[in-house]
Amino acid sequence: MSPANPTRSRSRAALAVLGAVWVAALLTAPLLGSHPVSLAAALRGEPTAAAIFWQLRLPRVLLSLLAGGGLALSGLGFQTLFRNSLAEPYTLGVASGAALGAVVALRFESAAAPLGLSTVALASFTGALAATALVVGLALRRQGVATQTLLLAGVAVSLSCSATILFLQYLADSTQTFRMVRWMMGGLAVVGYREVLWLLPWILGGSAVLLALRWDLNLLLTGEELAASRGVDIGRLRLQVLLATSLMIGSLVAVAGPIGFVGLIVPHIVRRWVGHDHLFLAPACLLGGGAFLTACDAAARLVMAPAELPVGVLTALLGGPFFLWLLILRSRER
Amino acid sequence: MRQVAQETLVAARGLAWRAGGRTILGPLDLDVRGGECLAVVGPNGAGKTTLLRLLTGLAHPASGTLSFGGRPFAKLSRRELARRIAYVPQIRPAHVPLAVEEVVLLGRYPYLSPLQLAPRTADFAAVEDALRRVGILELRGRPVDELSGGERQAVFIAAALAQEAQLLVLDEPTLHLDARHQQQLAALLLRLKDDAARTVVLATHDLNLAALLGDRLLALSGGREMAIGTPAEILHPELLERLFHARFQVVRGGARPLTVLDLAS
Repeated sequence: MSPANPTRSRSRAALAVLGAVWVAALLTAPLLGSHPVSLAAALRGEPTAAAIFWQLRLPRVLLSLLAGGGLALSGLGFQTLFRNSLAEPYTLGVASGAALGAVVALRFESAAAPLGLSTVALASFTGALAATALVVGLALRRQGVATQTLLLAGVAVSLSCSATILFLQYLADSTQTFRMVRWMMGGLAVVGYREVLWLLPWILGGSAVLLALRWDLNLLLTGEELAASRGVDIGRLRLQVLLATSLMIGSLVAVAGPIGFVGLIVPHIVRRWVGHDHLFLAPACLLGGGAFLTACDAAARLVMAPAELPVGVLTALLGGPFFLWLLILRSRER
Repeated sequence: MRQVAQETLVAARGLAWRAGGRTILGPLDLDVRGGECLAVVGPNGAGKTTLLRLLTGLAHPASGTLSFGGRPFAKLSRRELARRIAYVPQIRPAHVPLAVEEVVLLGRYPYLSPLQLAPRTADFAAVEDALRRVGILELRGRPVDELSGGERQAVFIAAALAQEAQLLVLDEPTLHLDARHQQQLAALLLRLKDDAARTVVLATHDLNLAALLGDRLLALSGGREMAIGTPAEILHPELLERLFHARFQVVRGGARPLTVLDLAS
């Protein structure tokens, strides 16, 4: 890790490239959609172009940059914490817990009171935290976390939450059901700057926590016993990482719905480019996840234009096969 | 005989550890003296690893007290303990996706603050010193996963040295090492003791290594101290037979007694 080490300069270069891709996504994605807009027209202030660019597309792109970054970073946090490359908010049931919370809020929201961001957000927060506590609690042993149990508990919690969501949908009237189903698909369609500003502190806060814990996370790569012998308080570290990731997931699921597999795909690819040092890996996930989700969302706007595919459907379509591919790779390694 | 400072570095009083209602270790009183090498010997399941994990503060005793230089372990944070005691466990992860130098630099963890952007010059100096002492300076940029068993062991010892702790605790350090690497490791530990004034506690099945390195041997049986003393005092056929339930021949005459299994019945 000294300046002479070539891997460090390579990590820096990869991070710079990801930063450039992130900026490119920020600049080009707002121009794409069923109604293409040119940057020059938007900047000149042509009414239609400017309205589409500034009021519709830009907040949506900013949200996807934040949400994608948060998803990838949470995935990274889980993967390092549990030393398992298949762990991510979606597979561990955290996203399902958040979804259940949000659906409960949508179901019991009275028709008179318009849907407030805070109710659904609070409910999905609670859901995310409860699912994390449940899954980790089931997998926690005296010697650490049993990763097999962790993944199985994640599946069980996911299924239970899905079943409960279906039950609530069955009970709900058709308007509520439509909103729930649409919300469950995950999407960035109806957002303004308010959601962006609301999400910003959670993602920045979570990123700051994970970045501050980078030595601890790096040490975890050598195993919990060695990490503890170097002075890491494993119990406290686990709590800090779980809290930071759950708050990020809870907040972003509240505004964007459950978007799966970004937390699995992005850290996996980014690791190959920047290596395993969390000093580079954490910002790389933040940038790469944001750019990836933004690209997926732009594609979701374009493939069925003028209709829009919910972005959660697209990431799940990509993520399912990716997950299987990882499983096959792992079984070959054994 | 090398000079051994007589002050107690780590003191254990009434130390005990239990699991599932069964006492695995203790009660045990033990003084690790500053500058000595204490070798813990005993059969499988005697509680050697448990004792080492208690001495490093990784496991908390069910009863009894531990202190380092007079300060109780309970009053030291994990980081403060890690600046005093470094541990090389027997079991290590099969897959470590880092380069040699990165793993050794992580030995500096107890000195790093979460707010500092990069390690300090002193950290890099400690890493370089550790790599040089262990003799793996040329491996610094290599991924740990590509190394042989002996080289990997050297990396984790270097990481423990980079911790610059006064006490170095090693669990079965020569397991899976060939003769050359065993010799290098033994020479390294002797140098550390003599030149760098480190105190060493190690657990081993290799009685000759224990005799070669140990100023004192602790014979552990069923979690209790059977005997403690110099190699010449401990390495007796009768004591070893009681300890291991196996027969040994002990050859004397050299600087240290030489122990071999007695296969004649």
